[in-house]
Amino acid sequence: MTQSFPVLLAVMASAAFLCRIAGFTLMRLVPVSPRVEAALRATPLGVMAGITALAVQQGGLAEGLALAAVVGLTLVLRSDVAAALLGVVVVAVLRWAGL
Amino acid sequence: MSGALFSLDGFRRGARDGVPLAVSIFAYGLGFGLVAAQAGFGVGKAVATSAAIYSGSAQLAAVNLLQTGEATAWALFAAILVINARYLLFGATLQPWLWSAGPVKAYGSLLLLGDANWLMTMRAIRAGEADRAYLAGTGAPIAVGWLSGTALGAAAVSVLPRPEALGFDLMLPCFAAGMVTAMVHSRVDLLPVAVGAGAALGIFHLAGPAAAIIGAGLAAAAVAALMHRGEA
Repeated sequence: MTQSFPVLLAVMASAAFLCRIAGFTLMRLVPVSPRVEAALRATPLGVMAGITALAVQQGGLAEGLALAAVVGLTLVLRSDVAAALLGVVVVAVLRWAGL
Repeated sequence: MSGALFSLDGFRRGARDGVPLAVSIFAYGLGFGLVAAQAGFGVGKAVATSAAIYSGSAQLAAVNLLQTGEATAWALFAAILVINARYLLFGATLQPWLWSAGPVKAYGSLLLLGDANWLMTMRAIRAGEADRAYLAGTGAPIAVGWLSGTALGAAAVSVLPRPEALGFDLMLPCFAAGMVTAMVHSRVDLLPVAVGAGAALGIFHLAGPAAAIIGAGLAAAAVAALMHRGEA
């Protein structure tokens, strides 16, 4: 039983939209105390650390070295964007070298 | 109350910061276009999918399901809900800042919400960004990159190099590593970082990558709330 693509697309779009707005809407009911604010501020730190940790675990030596280089370069260059772009170059070169 | 700043200046600032990310999202879009074309999607259908769902991981799962030929509307709905559950967390963390722009601007900005520009906006908020148009600004170049990448990938499947060869698949982790390094200002910040990394690795084995990312965010939030001292 397959429905037409536009119908399926509309269903998928509504699921994606629901995810985008639901957390935002529900959060309006939560009074933002300093404790809640500290939790909200820490959330991206945890997510970013999680993304990085998973990439290191799933990747090989090239990925681990590139991400370590990003951390070092961010501290040296004081620009996380420049460090991230250089990290991509590092991993491309290491993969090209067969690492 | 819609008194918060929402200006063209803030939008431009966000757009400028979003450009480096848009380059990687363009490459990721190429990858999705490629997969969609191999699943029998034409350019129009691939771009419509990218515009309607606007989330790479959810789209890849949806294309996989559709390819089996047995995908029901409910199965697709549930799959996207599960994969994109992290957006609940993203929206919740933006709420106190974004809501003061008023509902139309806030919900409109959320249409352009993605992993990369959520990270970028949270970093900007921490650095004192007051202009609520910043979020939509970061989203604009990323959306352009995503849709044009999808179109090109679907149209030119056979002649493109694989994005992995250029290292683009590691772009989001690179940005995450850089931003988390830049955002750690004191030893207090190191605890949610360590807890997030540990939670992601632990949950990944039990429940896969989508749950791991949500778990990392929630664990970091919980430990920060617990450690918070009563002052101010």
